[in-house]
Amino acid sequence: MKKPRARSVGFGLLAAGYVFAVFWVFTRSEPVVASRPVTIRIAHWQIEKGPPDGVDAVIRRYEELNPRVKVEQVLVPGRVYNQWMRTNLVGGTGADLIEYGVWLDGLTDIPARYFEPITDEMLRPNPYNRGTALEKVPWVQTFTDGLLNQRVNAPDPGQFYAATVTEVSERLFCNRDLLRKITGSDRPPRNFAELRALFQKVADYAARTGEPIYTLAGARDNAAWLMQYLMGGAMMQSSQRNDRHGTLSLYTWDEIGLYLEGRWSYRSPEAKAGLTMMREISMSMKPGFLQSLRDAATQEFLRGDAVFIFAGTWDGTSIRSLSTFPIDVLRFPQPTRNDPVMGPYFFGAFADGGGGTAMEFYLNKQSSHQAEAIDFLHFLTSVEGNQLFTDNSGWLPSVREVKVPANIAAYKTPMDCYSFGAEYMLMGSTVSEAIYRNLYLLTDTHGSVDQFVDALEREMPAAARADLGKEVSNRAITVRPQDVRIVANAALGWRAPQDASLQVARERLESSQTQSEALMLQLGRQLAIAGPAK
Amino acid sequence: MGRISPMGPIIQKPERSLGAQVILVVEAFASTMSGVSAPFPQWRRWLGVGLFCMLPPLVGAATPASEGTTEAWQFMANQLPRDAYARLGRIKGAPTREQALASAVVAVDYQPVTQDRLHDAEAVFAQLAQGDDEVADAAAYMQARLYQVHFQQPDYVRAAALYRALAERHPASHWAQLGLVKLGLLELYTLPEPAAPADRIAAATALLGRIHEEKLQRDLHLQIAHAGTFYEQSLELVLAHLKEVDRIGGLVGQVPEDLAIELGELSLRAGHYADARKYFEIYLRDFTPNLRSVTVRRRLEDLAALEAKAKGGRP
Repeated sequence: MKKPRARSVGFGLLAAGYVFAVFWVFTRSEPVVASRPVTIRIAHWQIEKGPPDGVDAVIRRYEELNPRVKVEQVLVPGRVYNQWMRTNLVGGTGADLIEYGVWLDGLTDIPARYFEPITDEMLRPNPYNRGTALEKVPWVQTFTDGLLNQRVNAPDPGQFYAATVTEVSERLFCNRDLLRKITGSDRPPRNFAELRALFQKVADYAARTGEPIYTLAGARDNAAWLMQYLMGGAMMQSSQRNDRHGTLSLYTWDEIGLYLEGRWSYRSPEAKAGLTMMREISMSMKPGFLQSLRDAATQEFLRGDAVFIFAGTWDGTSIRSLSTFPIDVLRFPQPTRNDPVMGPYFFGAFADGGGGTAMEFYLNKQSSHQAEAIDFLHFLTSVEGNQLFTDNSGWLPSVREVKVPANIAAYKTPMDCYSFGAEYMLMGSTVSEAIYRNLYLLTDTHGSVDQFVDALEREMPAAARADLGKEVSNRAITVRPQDVRIVANAALGWRAPQDASLQVARERLESSQTQSEALMLQLGRQLAIAGPAK
Repeated sequence: MGRISPMGPIIQKPERSLGAQVILVVEAFASTMSGVSAPFPQWRRWLGVGLFCMLPPLVGAATPASEGTTEAWQFMANQLPRDAYARLGRIKGAPTREQALASAVVAVDYQPVTQDRLHDAEAVFAQLAQGDDEVADAAAYMQARLYQVHFQQPDYVRAAALYRALAERHPASHWAQLGLVKLGLLELYTLPEPAAPADRIAAATALLGRIHEEKLQRDLHLQIAHAGTFYEQSLELVLAHLKEVDRIGGLVGQVPEDLAIELGELSLRAGHYADARKYFEIYLRDFTPNLRSVTVRRRLEDLAALEAKAKGGRP
């Protein structure tokens, strides 16, 4: 009698074990080899210290929340980024999310050809902001600048194309020990007049001690940022005079078109004032600095061979983490109304960075995983994701409600300065190339403002026409495929007249196409009136 | 004459087809299975292979041509012209008018776009445009678009003539209405006559009376205003159009922010101080602050000084 009972108990235990095993397998088990069905890639050139760690931290958290998706960060050095992006996009092997900047040489056609607008998503709340103060706020309005730069640079004015990750500005990083050693004080210059006096003190110190010390670390990149900043300030009144549309800012195509109409030139007294200041400052940099790129300037500063470096906050984490001396972060001392050079054209303090957000990521049209890519972009720019990025990168956030760590608070540009959008440097790639090609005439010891202006003005008429022509053809690249989408949306609407989203999509496309097309025709008219370059 | 709906001859079966139902079942099954990660992967594989083998004959047999056309349109709406082209190629039998339109439309963006292919598409559009349905109007519109933006050498005069003809034939059609907006752009910037800026603006403005769709009116108002500032016409004229844009609303992107500032700044320049204050304040209230807000605040200070001066007081 005992045996059948023992057998029953045994079977009972076996059945219970089986049920438990089935329950466990269906509810708790994970694959033996971790595999995620979807892999997306995010590519950028921010390989400085900071951003890769910031993005890694965001990816780790995102992958915890989304076990289906694996995110790979693709770091591409800036020197090869342009070629890398072009070849991968042409070959259909581009990353799902790609960083792009409108200033990248020879790539102005890329957004229209290869990037997908994300307008609908931008007008809806970011789902990862649930439970935060931004829960019901449309995604576009969660950015500290409302994505101003991206809206301005969108290939299609009626659409949103990118989301940004950080806010950038330009700052003067100061070697406090060296400043004290030379001047006997920690007190940095408060305006341009005091900076001029410091130029002389540093030169005297270098001559007296024989140490190769300069006031500013120099390189081609840093000089370009400085010149952009100074020209934006010097040309403020000129920009306002030329603002015929009344937008209180000029777009790059406005600047080029206005140049062709003869409404401004580098020969104007305002422009020459900005260039004179640029020359003055470049005389306080190491001779021949135009041959070097930004890494060389950073090294010069970190060696203790320069009191200051004028750099973007994008270099801040590298500079501060690698330095062996205390660093102060300052705003560049500005000329006042009494300045002998800029005074007559003084409008007010001008923007050192603009407070705009950057490191913008675009959605690749060819991505096989657009939904996942957008989802990751949502997380990257959510309050939680952007906080992770900020805390781990040392870069400013781009999203409201994200806490700015005290050590980078000085990077934020307060609303105390003016920007008219126009920088007179990055109007188009051909004009920029002409400026870079001739910059040595401005910054070389034997050069001068007039030599630079004469050389540049010889090239500008053709360069401006080439860049305006590119603007026209880029608009055409945007406009043409929109016809297909408009008809397709209408045809889908014939079958589903109750689907209001199809009508909204069509109307939005029609409206933004009309805007792009009108601009294209207007620029074409400017080119036609200007005629060929003489 | 009564219009023929494009739906009539095309959609014979509104309910979901057998093929679509099978796809849905497979999708639902795959989605269920994706949640189960470990227990019997080999079963899933064989089941998947089995279902995959069953699909083509089922889908091929069950999908009506109209559904293939819908899928093709969906591909085009998603900027996937190659997929749309392939989908249209799989539809058997004589093409309907809608399929002919779809095939010609996809050719417009099928890379690499060639002039020969565009000319072939134009022949199809011209032929379809002879009909009396929405397909005909869309085709007529697309024919004009080819001359305006797609051919290597645009022919603006021909495009304008085609837009005008469409608007004469079917003035209430959406495609005719949209064509009038495009015609307005040509009047503003490219057509040889009228050549004087004021006449160009007058010609475009005259089109507004023939456009009954409010959103399209708004788009043309905006472009007339921008042409007005470009040609440095009277601020009163520009402001009237901008106010219409503001009244209709509904724009997205950069334009609404620019519009608020333009209305404020141009009102100030025109001496309409109350309007200027109203629009500048709307800008500061409704848009995310950026450095342009600093300039707007300064303009409000300038405005206060001007208002005081106008009242004879001290600024």
